[in-house]
Amino acid sequence: MPQLNTDSIKDRTFDAIVIGSGISGGWSAKELTERGLKTLLLERGRDVRHIKDYPTTNMLPYEFEHRGEVPLAIREKNPIVSKCYAFREDAMHFFVKDTEHPYIEDKPFDWIRGYQVGGKSLMWARQTQRWSDLDFEGPARDGFAVDWPIRYKDIAPWYSHVEKFAGISGNKDGLKELPDGEFLPPYPLNAVEDHFKKVVSEKYPGRYVISARAAHLSQPQPVHLEQGRGQCQNRILCQRGCPFGGYFSSNSSTIPWAQKTGNLTLRPFSVVHSIIYDEQKGRATGVKVIDTNTKEEIEYFARVIFVNASTVNTNLILLNSISHRFPEGLGNDSGVLGRYVAFHHYGGDVGGRYEGPLDRFRTDGRNPARGYIPRFRNVYKQETSFLRGYAAGLSAGRDFYSDTNAIGEALKDNLVNRKLGPWYVGSHMMGETIPKKESYIKLDTDKKDEWGVPLLRVSVDFDDNDAKMLEDYFEQFSEMFAAAGFKDIRTRKRPGAPGIDIHEMGGVRMGHDPRTSVLNKWHQLHACKNVFVTDGACMTSTSTQNPSLTYMAFSARAANFAVDELKKGNL
Amino acid sequence: MKRRAAIKNMMIFAGGIYLLPSCSGDPGKASVELAHITISAQQEALLAAIAETLIPGTKDAPGAKDLNLHLFTLKMVDDCHSADDQQKFVSSLRVMDKEGLFTRLDGAKREKFITDLLEDTNAPEELREFMKITKQRVIQGFKNSKYAMTDLKQYELVPGRYNGYYPVENV
Repeated sequence: MPQLNTDSIKDRTFDAIVIGSGISGGWSAKELTERGLKTLLLERGRDVRHIKDYPTTNMLPYEFEHRGEVPLAIREKNPIVSKCYAFREDAMHFFVKDTEHPYIEDKPFDWIRGYQVGGKSLMWARQTQRWSDLDFEGPARDGFAVDWPIRYKDIAPWYSHVEKFAGISGNKDGLKELPDGEFLPPYPLNAVEDHFKKVVSEKYPGRYVISARAAHLSQPQPVHLEQGRGQCQNRILCQRGCPFGGYFSSNSSTIPWAQKTGNLTLRPFSVVHSIIYDEQKGRATGVKVIDTNTKEEIEYFARVIFVNASTVNTNLILLNSISHRFPEGLGNDSGVLGRYVAFHHYGGDVGGRYEGPLDRFRTDGRNPARGYIPRFRNVYKQETSFLRGYAAGLSAGRDFYSDTNAIGEALKDNLVNRKLGPWYVGSHMMGETIPKKESYIKLDTDKKDEWGVPLLRVSVDFDDNDAKMLEDYFEQFSEMFAAAGFKDIRTRKRPGAPGIDIHEMGGVRMGHDPRTSVLNKWHQLHACKNVFVTDGACMTSTSTQNPSLTYMAFSARAANFAVDELKKGNL
Repeated sequence: MKRRAAIKNMMIFAGGIYLLPSCSGDPGKASVELAHITISAQQEALLAAIAETLIPGTKDAPGAKDLNLHLFTLKMVDDCHSADDQQKFVSSLRVMDKEGLFTRLDGAKREKFITDLLEDTNAPEELREFMKITKQRVIQGFKNSKYAMTDLKQYELVPGRYNGYYPVENV
C-alpha cells in the first residue's frame, strides 16, 4: 500500500471514491479506473490478495484440525454466523464473527458479513441468473413497492458487458423469464437431473429445468487469461478462494484489473463514518473515514462517490450522513431511506431418492453450477393466492457410503471397501419477498460501535405471503418429484431468520419519484446527484434470481454514466 | 524451516493432523494438549484399546492405533462437544478404567462389550453416550485420514472434470 500523506488535502483528493470492495464495489472501481478516473477504493476490513491470502485453499480434509467442523467455543460465541452453511473450518476466517461487529435485532435477523477486500465475493455461491422484464415490471403489475425506473433493455447490454469479463457458464435456453447471456459452455445436468427435466417438460408446460448459469470459467477466454485466471478445476472449494481463479471474485478479477490501470488506490482498514455534504455547493464532497488500526479520522475528497458497502452498511452510511440540508440522512427527503428492506425467502427444501434404470450411472468429478428452475408461478398473470413466486435450485447425485453398524474387522472392511449409494435428489426454494414500509434498518440513537458509528437496528420479518409461498413450493415440488418417480419425498423447513439467505436488499430504493424513492434510474441520489448506490441497497424489489450479477451490471452501467456526466460537466 | 521441522517432529500425527503434545511431560497425563477435559495416560491407553477394537489394525491396512484415532477422538471431544458430552465421556472413561471393565476382557469379548453397550437400551446411559461418541469420532477419523483419502483414493482435491453419466461398471 502506498504511503498516504494525510497532511495534504491534495493527496487526499481523487476523481472518485468507491466505498466497499465486494462484488459491486470491485466493478465500480474497475469501470471508473478504466475510464481514467483516479479512484480511491475503501474497504473496512483487511486486505486479501488473490492466492497469497487464501491460507486453506490447498489443504486436504485431514489437514484441518477438526476436519472442517467449527469448534464449539466459536459456535457458542457466534450463534448467528454459525448458522451460515459456508461458515466452516476451511473458510471461517472470511466471515465476520458476531461479537466483532454487534448490531441490534429489533426482530431476529441473521446478518452474514465478510469484512475484507473482496467482501463476500470470495465466498459467494456464484449463481448468476439475469432478470427479465417479468421481474422489473413486478411491482407495477402487482401493486407493491414502486415501479422500477428501468427495464431490461436498459440493463441488458451491461449484463453482457459484465458476463464477458467475469466468465459465466450456461446454456442458451431461450426462456423469456430468464434471458440468455454471454455464456461459456454450460455444466451439463446429470442423468437423474436430465430425467427430471424431461418429465417436467412433458407434464408441466411453462416449467423448465436448466443448467444454472454460474460464474465459473468452464472454458477461459483471452480476457480471463489476461486477468491471470484459468480453467475451473471442479474442486468446489470456492469459499476458500481459488488458486486457479476458476470463479469470479473481486480479488481474482476486478481489483487487480483496476490496479493495472495505475488509477486505483486501495485502502483497507478504512471504515466510512459518513459522506460529507457541502451545503454551499449542494453536493457531496468526500467521505469521513476512521482508520481501524489507528482510530484516526481522515477525510477524503472526490467528485463522485459510489456507495457499495453492502445493503445494510450502505443504508447505515447514508443514514449517518447528517447535514443541515439532510437531517434524516443523505438524500432522505422522502423519508423512505432505510425502509422497504426485503430479502430472499430460502425457507424450505424438498428431497427424495431415485431408483430405476439410471442406476447404471453415477457422477464422476464435481459440478460447480448444478440445476436451476426459473420462477413458474404468476409469471404472466396472477394465478395463486400469494404474490410473485419462487425459483429453485436442483441437484441430484450419488455418493459412496459405508455401513457403519458393525464393529471390528467387519466395520473396517466396510470403510475400506465403500459401496455406491442411491441417487439422491434435492431442491431448495428461492422466493421473492415483498418490500414493506415497516421493514427497516435504522440507527440506534444511543449506542455506538468502536469506530464511533451508531449501532444498527434491524427489523425485517416473514409474512403471510411468504408462508403461502412456502406451502406452494412444498406442494408443487413434492408433486413434480412424485411425477418423476422419486421415492421417499420429504419436505423440510429451513431454520433461520431473514438474512440467512445472504440476499438482503433495499432501503435505498430506485424509483421515478423523489417523493417515494431515494435513487433515480442512474442510481444517483435524487437529491444529491454525485452520490451513486449500486449494491443491494438500491433494489426496489427482489425477484427470485441470485442478485450479484445484477449488482455487477448496475455498477458498470452507473460508473460509465458517471464518467460520461463528468466529461459533460454535469457532475 | 529448521525450526518448523523441529516442531513438526515434536508433534503427534493423528489421522493426518498434527496435535501438540502435552506440555507437562507428566507420564501420568494424556499425551496431547487438551483444554477442557483431563485424561490420564492410563485412560488414554484404554481409549486407544477401545478404538483399536472398533477398527483393528490388520496385516494389509492400518487400524485405529496406527492412525492415532483415539487422540483425534480426544481432540474432537475437547473442542467440539458440549460440556455435558465431555462430562459423560470423561466420567465413563474413569469408571471403565477404574473397574477394568474393558481391559480385563480378551479380543472377542471386547467386541461384544462394545456391541452390547451400543445395542442394549438398558445399559447405563452415560456409557452408551460415551461409546456412541467414540465410535462416531473414530469412524470419522478413519474416513478422513490420510490413509483413506490418499492411499485408498477416497478423496480427490482437484478433479478437473465432471461427468453426469459415468457408467457404474467403471467403478
